[in-house]
Amino acid sequence: MSIQKDPEQSEIRHLRKFVDLAGKRVLEIGCGEGRLTWQYAKWTEQTVATDIDHDSLRVAKVDRPYDVENIVHLACADSHYLPFSKEKFDIAILAWSL
Amino acid sequence: MVHALHEIHRVLAPGGVLIDMRPLGERWQIEVASAHEIRETGRVMDLPEQVNDDLAANEAMKEVESRGWYARDKEEFFPFLYSWDTPSEMEEFIEEDWADFIELSNDVKKATRSAWALGNADSRVRLRMKVLLARWKKL
Repeated sequence: MSIQKDPEQSEIRHLRKFVDLAGKRVLEIGCGEGRLTWQYAKWTEQTVATDIDHDSLRVAKVDRPYDVENIVHLACADSHYLPFSKEKFDIAILAWSL
Repeated sequence: MVHALHEIHRVLAPGGVLIDMRPLGERWQIEVASAHEIRETGRVMDLPEQVNDDLAANEAMKEVESRGWYARDKEEFFPFLYSWDTPSEMEEFIEEDWADFIELSNDVKKATRSAWALGNADSRVRLRMKVLLARWKKL
């Protein structure tokens, strides 16, 4: 099956115009396989991308681009109990997950 | 949802920003598109689960706003496209992945197949979602 998601790249264009990610510590909730994460992470200081689904995270780990290897950290986490200390992030992104 | 939004509030730094990005179930448009034209062939039907998910998410944001955790800063909408080579691929995808959320009527299926069959060689079938992008400031 040949499926294209967001071939016009609307999502990343709108997100970048909407919020300044440069040098920020970002928490993404519901990263799935990292489709959106790989597009914005390179501008951030650090991105922690979380999802509750192990299988999606496994794919994300394999697909993680080399240029964001040291920027993006993947974590399996339930958004109801985030395993992070308080006030750790500048931006939280609920990516299709609320 | 409210509990999760409270957790996010806890890990956000003072003045931090919450971005809520999600598709809204508003009878997404189906279209057949080529380099020369885009033809709408109908709309999907939103099933109760899709409608209820949207309502629950909106209610949760209202609740955390009323509790003084976040303030709405900015909101906009943008289109997000899914695109397939053929109508049958789209139908298969919807049945496998979104059966709980949306449905295609037989009329829309027929109209899409017909428009695609009569379209240009580069015609693809697309589904145009409406996506909410909202920015909330941590208070």
